Amino acid sequence: MSIPKPMAQPLDFEAINAAEFLGRLREAGPGGQKAFGQLVRATHEKFLGFIRRQLSSQDECQEVLQEVYLAVHKGLAGFKGESKLTTWMFSLAHHKICDRIGDRNRSHQELTESREAALSTEAADDRLAGATAWDAPPDRLSARNAVEGLIAKAIEALPEQARQVYHLRDVEGLSGEETAAMTGMTPENVRVQLHRARQRIVEWVREKMAGAAAAPVPDGSASAGKPASGATKT
Amino acid sequence: MSGMFYKAFYPCAKVRDFMYDYLEDNLPMVVSIRFHLHLNGCAECREYLYLYRAAANAQTFRKENPPPEEFLDATLDFLAKEGIVDPADEEDRENA
Repeated sequence: MSIPKPMAQPLDFEAINAAEFLGRLREAGPGGQKAFGQLVRATHEKFLGFIRRQLSSQDECQEVLQEVYLAVHKGLAGFKGESKLTTWMFSLAHHKICDRIGDRNRSHQELTESREAALSTEAADDRLAGATAWDAPPDRLSARNAVEGLIAKAIEALPEQARQVYHLRDVEGLSGEETAAMTGMTPENVRVQLHRARQRIVEWVREKMAGAAAAPVPDGSASAGKPASGATKT
Repeated sequence: MSGMFYKAFYPCAKVRDFMYDYLEDNLPMVVSIRFHLHLNGCAECREYLYLYRAAANAQTFRKENPPPEEFLDATLDFLAKEGIVDPADEEDRENA
C-alpha cells in the first residue's frame, strides 16, 4: 500500500530560485502539474500586469502570458542560473514582449499610430480618472492625482529603450543588476538610461504643467492650475 | 533666502544630475551638503526633485484592478492542453 506524500509547504514564488522550483517539480513527480498550476495562479496577475503595461491588445497579452509559461516549462530543465524564479520569468516575458514590439516595429507606422492612440485625449482622460478597467486602452499606470496622471502619460512618450528600463526598474521594482541581466545592458548603462528616463518624464510633466498654468482660465483666476511651487523653467 | 547665492554651490543642471544618486543615498557628504544648500534656495529644483522622486516611485502609485478570471482560465486551459498543468485540477481553480 502506498502512503500518500504529505502536502508540500506552499511555495513562496517571490523567493524561490529557478533551480529550487525545478527540484520541487521533480520531487512532485506526476504531481508536478499541480505545482506548475500553483505557479500560474500565484504569478499570472503580476506577469499579466507587466505585459499589459507594454502591449496594447488583450489577445496579445494573453498569448504572451501563455508563451511565458510555456517557455518556463520548457526552459526550467536547462536553466542553470541561480536567479530568482520570478526574475527569470521577467526576463522571459521581457524578451517575448520585445519580440512582439520588434514585429510591430517592422511596420513602424503601426507602432507610431498605436503610441499616438495611447496618448490620445480619451486614453489620457481614462488614466487621469484612474480608469483601470480591463477593456480600457493599455493602462500602464493609473493616477491618484494630476501629477501621477501626467507621469503616466510621460512614460508613454519615452523612447523604447528608456521606457523598457524605466518599466523594469521603477514600475516593476527590479534591481539594476536584474534589469541589466534582462536587457543585456551593463548596470552602469541601466543607471544612465533610468536617470535619463526620469529626467525626460520630469521635463515632460513640467512642460505640461507650465502650459496648463499659462492657459487662460474661464474665471479669470491667474493662479488656477498653477503648480504650488510657482513658475517653471527648463 | 536672498539673491541667487545657492547657485554658487552648484548650478541647477548639476543638482538635477545628482538626483539619481541622491535618491540612492549615494552622494558623498560634501556633495550632499552643497546639493542641499542649493535646494534650500532653489524652488525650481525642489519642484524638479519632487517630480523626479514621483517618477522614481511609480511602483507605489501603480494601481490596477485584477485581470478577469477568464485570463487565468484561458491560460490554465492552454497549459492543460500542452500537458503542463493538470486539466482535472478544477478544485484548485475554484479555490484560487
